[in-house]
Amino acid sequence: MIIAGAGKVGATVAEQLTAEGHDVTIVDLSEEITTRRSNQLDVMCIKGNCSSRETLLEAGAVDTDVLIATTESDELNLLCCYCGHRLGIPHTVARVREISYIDEIETLKRDLNITMIVNPEHATAVEISRMLRFPNAANVDTFARGQVELVAFHVQQGDFICDHAIMDVSRRIQNVPFLFCAVERGSEAFIPNGRSVLKQGDKVYIAGTPNGIHEFFHMLGRQAHKIRRAFIIGGGRICFYLLAELERLGMSCKVVEKDAARCRTLSEAFPRATIIHGDGTDPELLSEERISAADAFIALTNRDEDNLIISLYAHQEKVPKVVAKSSHQNYTSIARSAGVESVVSPKLTTAAQILQLIRGIQNSKGNTMTALYRIASNQAEAMQFRVTSDARFLGTPLKELRSRLREGILIAVIVRNNEVIIPQGSTTLEAGDEVIVVAKDSGIIDLDDIYQS
Amino acid sequence: MNFKLVARITGMTLLLEAVTMLLPMFVGMLYGETPVPFLLSIAITAAVGFALMMGFRKADHSFYAREGFFTVGLIWVLFGAFGALPFQFCGYFNHYIDCFFETISGFTTTGATILTEIESLPKGILFWRSFTHWLGGMGVLVLTTALLPFLGLSSNFLIRAESPGPVKSKLVPRAAQSSLILYSIYLGLTLLEVLFLKIAGMNWFDAFNHSMATAGTGGFSTRSASVAAYGSPVIEVIITVFMLLFSVNFSIYFLIITGRVKQALKSDELRFFLCVVAFAILVITWNIRDMYETVSVSLRLAAFQVASVISTTGFVTADFDKWPVLSKMLLVVLMFVGACAGSTGGGMKCSRILVLYRTCKREVRSIVHPRAVTVVRLDGAPLPERTIQTTGCFFVIYIFLTFCMSLVVGLDNFSFTTTLTSVITCISNVGPGLDVVGPTGNFQSLSMLSKLVLSFAMVLGRLEMYPILVLFSRSAWSRF
Repeated sequence: MIIAGAGKVGATVAEQLTAEGHDVTIVDLSEEITTRRSNQLDVMCIKGNCSSRETLLEAGAVDTDVLIATTESDELNLLCCYCGHRLGIPHTVARVREISYIDEIETLKRDLNITMIVNPEHATAVEISRMLRFPNAANVDTFARGQVELVAFHVQQGDFICDHAIMDVSRRIQNVPFLFCAVERGSEAFIPNGRSVLKQGDKVYIAGTPNGIHEFFHMLGRQAHKIRRAFIIGGGRICFYLLAELERLGMSCKVVEKDAARCRTLSEAFPRATIIHGDGTDPELLSEERISAADAFIALTNRDEDNLIISLYAHQEKVPKVVAKSSHQNYTSIARSAGVESVVSPKLTTAAQILQLIRGIQNSKGNTMTALYRIASNQAEAMQFRVTSDARFLGTPLKELRSRLREGILIAVIVRNNEVIIPQGSTTLEAGDEVIVVAKDSGIIDLDDIYQS
Repeated sequence: MNFKLVARITGMTLLLEAVTMLLPMFVGMLYGETPVPFLLSIAITAAVGFALMMGFRKADHSFYAREGFFTVGLIWVLFGAFGALPFQFCGYFNHYIDCFFETISGFTTTGATILTEIESLPKGILFWRSFTHWLGGMGVLVLTTALLPFLGLSSNFLIRAESPGPVKSKLVPRAAQSSLILYSIYLGLTLLEVLFLKIAGMNWFDAFNHSMATAGTGGFSTRSASVAAYGSPVIEVIITVFMLLFSVNFSIYFLIITGRVKQALKSDELRFFLCVVAFAILVITWNIRDMYETVSVSLRLAAFQVASVISTTGFVTADFDKWPVLSKMLLVVLMFVGACAGSTGGGMKCSRILVLYRTCKREVRSIVHPRAVTVVRLDGAPLPERTIQTTGCFFVIYIFLTFCMSLVVGLDNFSFTTTLTSVITCISNVGPGLDVVGPTGNFQSLSMLSKLVLSFAMVLGRLEMYPILVLFSRSAWSRF
């Protein structure tokens, strides 16, 4: 694998790919960055221009499977991928973030033979809009074309599930189509079983149909009240994509942006949104614009520290849903401990996208992994596989399979002929199913990997 | 929008209105009239005010520009609605809309009346009519903030929304204290006029009424024939002078009182205002010289009419509807121009005209020198572009709404002059127009719809458009 441009995203992808046993070569123009990365990561670093033939050949382009171009410049990324393709690299990934290219993505992919174009800001905006659609949840991931959702929430004092083992409350929830998948407690994560006791402050991941999850939240007494008014601080690229998403959902949006010229651009593009020129970290301005009347508050400034502080302010002003952007992962836990549940990270979102692609490429022969999400602060993964006829243990009831499964693996949901099945002891896996598996550790590449060898 | 606090402030202001109704009631009782209409009105107004005030005790204190504009717009409409109650209960009016029109005309210091036989009204009611002028002149919210300083920060936004003029400046650091100073100057000048009028031969009641009407630049008189009824040149001169005094920016008096006379006389707006007045008086005196016996009579009548119209008071001593067209046109133009910013008068305000003129001049200059950078100045200081923009917008809204409302009044099928001048005179808060609504006429014959539209025009003009337009803005009504 070659990663061209080792900025935030590049480094994160490199780190995760190395962890999964791939050989990674980093190419970057800056001496400083290559030195830093080679100290941080177990990778090879080459200084040079990533779109030059020589550099790519030096990086071992001849026997490279994937080229990932994540330099600062979109055009350079595209050119780099084009060169890579010419050198015979089968799969190329380019990061393109320029808004005016967004309509050209498909053409670019086809004409330049690029496997995937990732846009971190767009991906983050989509993630945020998904969070706003499910305001109760801290995170939401979707599987099987939206038929299954994986939703995270925090257990609060007084919830009927709090301080009870799951099997004790199972009678109340047995007809609701959902399943407890993973629990994150402090810095630990585990896959719960019937004897697990949920405690206050736990972040619990549940998988199920949208209706089932809605019903469960209803039982918890956290009726989802629909988000209509979104308050956004920081009018960068994410904000641009987010406004497009939210306006399509019919929300009214208010954006506070420091830069007057940027305000103008936003106002030109989104006539319906209220664009305010001002400092979003000024509580006086926020209260003048009635932050307390907003249903959702999204902090997207360039500074993580600012995002964190104003999110706390919004939280204190009782805005029901607060989302903070954190580009440096180390603030996520601080934000969560202070009550800001939803933190998005463009870097991690993009890395997950790329990783998902690479795993897909890896087992294009076996049981194809069609989706992958990293959950519980990267300590667990939720994957979706399409079951092929040569998968192991087809037709065996799950209760018999249980002993054969590896530690920390949960078969969460099965989708068969567009019907969502929450597995019971008698459920079997069949060819053609889509199955969602939650694993505590990473490294599962094929469906067969979930069984003990 | 913080509706709770808006409601609470509205409640307090209505309570204050109830208190102000006590004064005309006592005046009426002094003349042996029944206090019942006032008692009823006070009871209703106070009850509503009290309910609003106590009902929203727990309002949070976030109060900003939009709340300020919204509150001012709302309160002025409600003030008209509740202030109309004494008229409604006294039995001299045919319809509640008439009462509402009369009250709005009072509070906005327009002075347009629907009454034909003014002398037959009870003294208390007459006093209330003039008193509404006096209250509305300086602004009911300025009064509220002066008397109820505990409103705190919010008063700033209220005053800014209510006080006329494009540039708002405080006299002293505290808004409430500023209001108090303005009211003291206002009260002082009013009492001075009362004294002069009494010496000139008016009785106390008429002196008070006319002084209050002059002070607010309103124009309600206690006689159907207005000031002409007294036939006294001395009274006319006194009122002419005071009308002009009350159409000057009050901060100039503050500067004079505090010894900064030089700075006061430097005001561009004041100079412009005086030039316009002098020019108009000379032209009209010349234009009507053949209609009256001596030039001094023409001069006196011209001066009175010009002062009355440009200060947007609306007293009359001559039927200018019969004057030559040039004079009539000039008076209509003066209606648009109006008084100085920061006075009690209406119209577009001299400072705005001045700013517009200078902006246009710059525009022409920029055609000759396309790359020139020119700053528009007022009183020597450069004006922010934002102010220029707002002023231009204000002008357009003013003209646009004038024509829109003329279309509605046009339904009544009066003459072109009547239709157009009735709207102009109302939106500029003058009082008399031309033809049917002219100096000797009144607004009685207009339809109910026209009266409502004209009431609307009066509030629009008095609050300088924006607070009322905010009431119609969808984003102001949303909580977000």
